[in-house]
Amino acid sequence: MNSVEEKIWNYIDGNCSPDEQQAMDILIATDDVYKRKYHELSKLNIEFSCMMELDEPSMGFGYKVMETIRTENAMKPLKATIDKRIIKGIAAFFVVSIVTLLVFALINVSWTNTNSTNTLLSGQDIKIPQLGNYLNGTVLKVFILFDIVLALFLADGYLRKKLNNRQTQ
Amino acid sequence: MQSKYTDTELITRSLAGDQAAYADLIRRHQRFVFTLALRFAKTREDAEEIAQDCFVKAYRSLQSFNGEAKFSTWLYSIVYTTAMTFLRKKRLDTSSIDDENTYLQIENKPGGFDGDLAEQKSRSYYLNKAIEQLLPDDAMVITLFYKGEQSLEEIGQAMGIEPNNVKVKLFRARQRLKERLELTLKHEVNELI
Repeated sequence: MNSVEEKIWNYIDGNCSPDEQQAMDILIATDDVYKRKYHELSKLNIEFSCMMELDEPSMGFGYKVMETIRTENAMKPLKATIDKRIIKGIAAFFVVSIVTLLVFALINVSWTNTNSTNTLLSGQDIKIPQLGNYLNGTVLKVFILFDIVLALFLADGYLRKKLNNRQTQ
Repeated sequence: MQSKYTDTELITRSLAGDQAAYADLIRRHQRFVFTLALRFAKTREDAEEIAQDCFVKAYRSLQSFNGEAKFSTWLYSIVYTTAMTFLRKKRLDTSSIDDENTYLQIENKPGGFDGDLAEQKSRSYYLNKAIEQLLPDDAMVITLFYKGEQSLEEIGQAMGIEPNNVKVKLFRARQRLKERLELTLKHEVNELI
């Protein structure tokens, strides 16, 4: 701190150490320059804190801000608004399914049979479901129907996109 | 009407999806944020744009507010960065204390009916007029210190500078404001004569 003014502002703001404050008290009481400056700056300080006014924004300011926030929220992409718990739930379902299948497969493996080294590879002790039992006429019909619906759905999407592009051009 | 809840309570409610709580927060801080924005923008339209942007930004990053500092300090730091970006973008001609040709675009006409009130309004008018002619940084330091109830440390946080630098800035800003005030009032006296 160099100038008298700096010292006095520091004193007015209460940023002085106790020793500095004591020294300033004496200076203000005894030195005319300090005394005059102190009174001048104190008055100015009161003026600054009392006379400064805050401006008021327009009446609809708050409403405008909230509208912007609402619009932004509405424009958020779907993937950002999907609850993360749903995604975690789906992930948990798949993890549990995979673990269950793995455990089931490991339980069905005969670990004690040491007679043949090829047992595991030959698949003698692993029960593989016979797919032929499930592939009957009804299953095939359902499968073909599903394929047709999927093809129609994709074709519809493709044609709509094409139509939109033509309209925008 | 001011909300009975504290800033922290309103923030918690806003984070839980209560938009009315955030509207209360805006109502509570809008005058100060707008005044700070006006220190940079100089026109009411631009200041409103900055202030609006600040509240939207604050809402977006409300989750990152950890409560270590006051909400107002955190909000003023957003005001400062937004206003600085705005100034850089628009390349506004900011009024300098050394620029004698500065003019005011804001009309804050003093009003009042009785003598005391008129005098008080007039003093307030000239003080605000002098502040508007300061450099944006100086005007911000002065406003935060006198009206924002912010300590030197908090002003430093809001402006991204050390408290010691804030002290120096504040001292210089006061000096310039004093000079500007003397100059403005001198012109006023000349006009009266």
